[in-house]
Amino acid sequence: MATKELIKRTETSTERVQKKRKRIPHVDVIENQNEYILYADLPGVEEKGLDVTLEKEVLTIKGEAREEVPEGYTPRFTEFSPSIFERSFSVSDEIDRDKIKATIKNGVLKLVLPKAETAKVKKIEITQG
Amino acid sequence: MSIRDLVPFRRRGSLRRWDEPVRSFFEEVEELFDRFFGDYELEPVRERWGLFTPKVDFTEDDKEYRITAELPGMNEKDIEVTMDEHSITIKGEKKEDKEDKGKNYYYRERRYGSFTRTIPLPEDVDVDKVEAKFKNGVLTLKLPKTGTGRSIKKIEIKS
Repeated sequence: MATKELIKRTETSTERVQKKRKRIPHVDVIENQNEYILYADLPGVEEKGLDVTLEKEVLTIKGEAREEVPEGYTPRFTEFSPSIFERSFSVSDEIDRDKIKATIKNGVLKLVLPKAETAKVKKIEITQG
Repeated sequence: MSIRDLVPFRRRGSLRRWDEPVRSFFEEVEELFDRFFGDYELEPVRERWGLFTPKVDFTEDDKEYRITAELPGMNEKDIEVTMDEHSITIKGEKKEDKEDKGKNYYYRERRYGSFTRTIPLPEDVDVDKVEAKFKNGVLTLKLPKTGTGRSIKKIEIKS
């Protein structure tokens, strides 16, 4: 990694975030006839710490894990530490923006992105002529 | 570090150390990755092979040890915690939603399957008072200290 990048990373991480590490969550995205469903693993995140935004064509998921380790604890070994999960996706016009639904349970975000009427596959009935 | 350490790909066999003749293929691959990427954050080998492995943090204060494990998408019933004097074991299975099987995937990164993680414990854990809690996909284990563990003793140096 370039030194410049490293320095930049250190600077941003010392601002508000302090010890929290930024991580890219693992996702599953499934398409079915009427919608796209996105699942994201966000362990430790609850509604309060979750932020889903759609700006123009960019869908951003941001989740901050609840402080798992209270102050005064010293780590013996850490593999995740309190984290901030962040990831962005580009979204096409095919999605009905007003009907996006988000739920979070057991640290998994489920986003349902319904397809716009125009994007749905329509079956055309054939009538006998 | 010698220049040989910088070469990521070598003939199989030359990677083995003389003192550890029986090393698993997995360990070899892991070492190879570690050497190549330095201290980059890397997933455990198991995950690279598509299996689920929870990440674990182990912290302590004066009174207790805390172990937290990331188990997104699971619930209490899927997890089993057992312990003996020397270690604690977290066991479980992360199941895939049945309704989603066989659908069209754009991304498929989340891992599933059964896992076991055993964490060695320090000597001064009060085994009878261990508490486990599960919330938001994170398992938290609190292990109080007995207070009778090995204390730090200063050794006087005589001249």
